[in-house]
Amino acid sequence: MEIIQKFGFEIESFLFQIVNFLVMAFVLKKFLYVPLKKILDERKYKIEQSLLESDIAKIVLENAKQEKKRLLLEAKNSADVLTKTAKISIAEAKEKAVAETKRHSEQILDDAKQRAAAEFKIMNNQIEKISIDVSRKIVLRVLSDLFSDDEKQKLISQALKKIDEKIKN
Amino acid sequence: MQIKPDVLFLVVNFPVTNTIIATIISDIVIILFILVVNRTISLKPNPLQNATELIVDYFVKTTKEIAGERASFIYPWVLSFFILILTSNLIAQLPGFESIIFKTSISKSHKVSFLKAASSDLNLTLAFAVTSVVLTHYLSIRCTGIKAYFARFITFRVFPIFLFVGILEFSNEITKIISFSFRLFGNISSGEKIITTMYNIFSFGLPLPFMLLELLVAIIQAMIFAMLTMVFMHVMTDKPH
Repeated sequence: MEIIQKFGFEIESFLFQIVNFLVMAFVLKKFLYVPLKKILDERKYKIEQSLLESDIAKIVLENAKQEKKRLLLEAKNSADVLTKTAKISIAEAKEKAVAETKRHSEQILDDAKQRAAAEFKIMNNQIEKISIDVSRKIVLRVLSDLFSDDEKQKLISQALKKIDEKIKN
Repeated sequence: MQIKPDVLFLVVNFPVTNTIIATIISDIVIILFILVVNRTISLKPNPLQNATELIVDYFVKTTKEIAGERASFIYPWVLSFFILILTSNLIAQLPGFESIIFKTSISKSHKVSFLKAASSDLNLTLAFAVTSVVLTHYLSIRCTGIKAYFARFITFRVFPIFLFVGILEFSNEITKIISFSFRLFGNISSGEKIITTMYNIFSFGLPLPFMLLELLVAIIQAMIFAMLTMVFMHVMTDKPH
């Protein structure tokens, strides 16, 4: 005891320091550690909560990606089916149009042929008439020098009769 | 140069020493600090709250690592020792400590300094050491039960070695008080004496490296006291094998 008194030990100061420590420890615990611990725990809880939410968001995002992929695949399939159908429809329409055009052109060709045939017949008749007329004129000119007027008249009459018969036939 | 703290005045026969004034100043600083932190406390911490959280969280985590679920009983005491010792040690590095000297009616002939490092007073270090050991025993009884607590010191086993172990355990507790109190007291008071000596030799620049060293010592000593208390509390609150 004497030794520690040489170092300045005083029971009053010693007790004061103990009481002071206990009071300060109480104050520190009540007004510093507890509020800070509460804040730390709250922050920790919020961080954990945020991490959990982020995990959920990740799962939702993954699901959305899968859904997007599925929808895209579905749309692609639908587009493929539509393209195929359209191609078939176009081919059918093309075929139909070609057939229609062909039929129409054949009809035009037939009409043209018929018209040409009719034109040819008319032309033939006219040529025939012209040739008869020319023949008659030639015969008349040739016969006028060889025969008398009566003979001419006879021959002409006979020739005309024969021509008429031939024409009539 | 004396080791004892100087009595400045008496309050109803209670001797108010310069170390008690330093203790009260460090208490005021801590209370102001608590008020500032408490006023601005929020989920988004400011730098001050951040620094405080860092210290509190470090002690909570370290205590948890060492003592597990008993950490909630241990860490408030350990942290209180750390904060009080650190504050009183750091405040002692401020100008005015050991440099404001005057005569008092009690001191009569010799001059006394108005402020002296609180940890350089054996009364404080001894009080802290006794409180630490008593709290350790209190927590030991609370956590392990009275039977297990006494089983550490008194055993009815046949071999005399166990009786010897019990005596050793008991003497160990006395040693703890002595080592706790004299380590802190010796380090801080010797540091203070060194700086005062350096001031007396050459005031400009010479004490500076020693002051920096004392800053380091202030932190280390607070840490040692707190960590040893933590370890002792853990050992004593653990069930004896």
